[in-house]
Amino acid sequence: MKKQLVATVFTALVGLSGSAMADEMVFTSWGGTTQDAQKTHWADSFTSKTKIAVIQDGPTDYGKIKAMVEAGSVTWDVVDVEGDYAVQAGKAGLLEPLDFSIIDKSRLDPRFVTDYSVGSFYYSFVIGCNKTAAGACPKTWADLFNTVKFPGKRAFYKWSAPGVIEAALLADGVAADKLYPLDLDRAFKKLDSIKADIVWWDGGAASQQLLASGEAPFGSFWNGRLTALAATGVTVETSWDQNITAADSLVVPKGAKNKKAAMKFIAHATADMQQSQFAMETGYAPTNLDASRLMDEAVRRTLPDMQAKSQVNADMNYWAVNRDEIGKRWYSWQAK
Amino acid sequence: MAILATAGRDNGRRRTLQKRKSGFSFAVPALLLIILFFVTPVLGLLLRSVTEPELGLQNYAELIGSGTYMRIFANTFLVAGVVTALSVVIGYPVAWALVVMPRYWSQVVFAIIILSMWTNLLARTYAWMVLLQRTGVINKTLMGLGLIDTPLTLVNNLVGVTIGMTYIMLPFVILPLVGVIRSIDPAILRAGALCGANRLQCFTHILLPLSLPGVAAGALMVFVMALGYYVTPALLGGTANMMLAEMIAQFVQSLVNWGMGGAAAFVLLVVTLLLYAVLLRFFGASRIG
Repeated sequence: MKKQLVATVFTALVGLSGSAMADEMVFTSWGGTTQDAQKTHWADSFTSKTKIAVIQDGPTDYGKIKAMVEAGSVTWDVVDVEGDYAVQAGKAGLLEPLDFSIIDKSRLDPRFVTDYSVGSFYYSFVIGCNKTAAGACPKTWADLFNTVKFPGKRAFYKWSAPGVIEAALLADGVAADKLYPLDLDRAFKKLDSIKADIVWWDGGAASQQLLASGEAPFGSFWNGRLTALAATGVTVETSWDQNITAADSLVVPKGAKNKKAAMKFIAHATADMQQSQFAMETGYAPTNLDASRLMDEAVRRTLPDMQAKSQVNADMNYWAVNRDEIGKRWYSWQAK
Repeated sequence: MAILATAGRDNGRRRTLQKRKSGFSFAVPALLLIILFFVTPVLGLLLRSVTEPELGLQNYAELIGSGTYMRIFANTFLVAGVVTALSVVIGYPVAWALVVMPRYWSQVVFAIIILSMWTNLLARTYAWMVLLQRTGVINKTLMGLGLIDTPLTLVNNLVGVTIGMTYIMLPFVILPLVGVIRSIDPAILRAGALCGANRLQCFTHILLPLSLPGVAAGALMVFVMALGYYVTPALLGGTANMMLAEMIAQFVQSLVNWGMGGAAAFVLLVVTLLLYAVLLRFFGASRIG
């Protein structure tokens, strides 16, 4: 009797720990309101549907991904990364190929699909302006680079990534379809002309703080952060003229422990319903082509995918190839 | 005076040697920990710096050959130097006051210093940002008083980094200084005064030389910590006065270029060790503590 009891308890314990191992996975993203929305609309509904617990981690760190893969001890199962990094890391052998028998890519925006990644959400760099703090609001990239007509500090994204170099070239009169390959000399020369007036933001929250406080009355921002800021009562004007799109991607690091769960999670997160809910909350555009019909019309009109007329797509493949070289140049230019 | 100090130093050395013999086994756990979690990874880093992307010293050549990286090195030393000097100048009187204050008040001031050390670093740095920015409290007050017309640029530059870092480093100067000043026998100062030294002479001839080991210990600690500081310069500094730690983080996290990151980290480590060696030579291990 006693033996039997011990045996039962033992099996139960083994069973418990076994199932706990199989039924959880780790999702890593950039933190802040974006990851909150990913948790609410992707992870929580995934857990209630599949009973697989999703542990949130962050922020995304490319050095960590490399370290984990090299050490053969990968603790992240799905990671939200920048699109150009996804392309580069896929080629460098740092990612698992995605299982498209689980993930349905037929209705995913083909611009953001590779063998190793699918679009997570996409956003635009737009011109944002705090109407209370600014004398006049710049409407075009040329305006934003014109310190005579629009004096004051302007905010730009600090890290080397698609967006700022493109903006400089567009401001300098390069035609949108002639942007690539990027003329870096010309871009940095244009950036030099406003360098003393640039304030850098290193994340979404910092960008909102700069604009709301009037520290920088205008600048280049992620569209979703402006939507969120406007919702708090700040008088924000957004100019979509030549908005520059870039996407985040979902990837699975090579050797991830819960690969199967990871694939299921990506399939769930990129489904039309989950994409539409995330987009409505964050102001970022969905990467599932069927998502927009599930969305409130008024909200839909504020998303980047409705601004296609004057839209410029950052070339992720170009960036993936030239990422390191541009990065080196970018940071040494900044440090000058 | 000089003879006395030298004799004291020799005594100290002998005592440390004796201690080292008898106490070595107690240090083994800590040593193992350091070898496992510090020395090994540092060696790994060194290895990467000469093997990635290929075998050779090209990473070091690029670091030393590039004007940008050299400027970042120079800026790092400039910031660390300025912060150290300011911390000592501001911290010394505070440490002195803490020693001579009535016990109750010195406890209150101590509590304030310790509490500020315990508060989250990020929170403190963001607080400075709010105070210093163009639309911040300081600029608004000054403009409201009519003292300035256009806001002062106090953040995203060297000024911001210096203010933020000095504030954070102050306790690291004050605490060792208090210990040293407290151990000075007040009778020596009284004797000096009896022999006709005025207040200034008492300070420059007695108090300052006797408390110099404390100054050196605090200054070294601050300087070394400042050399590798990351959060505060990243938030309060502009990109034009980037410091070494930020550059290493960029190499490791954004550019995923570990060869260059390793090289930069290793140069920083060597420079720090050299500085420590110089200080040891001048003051002796027992006195820096």
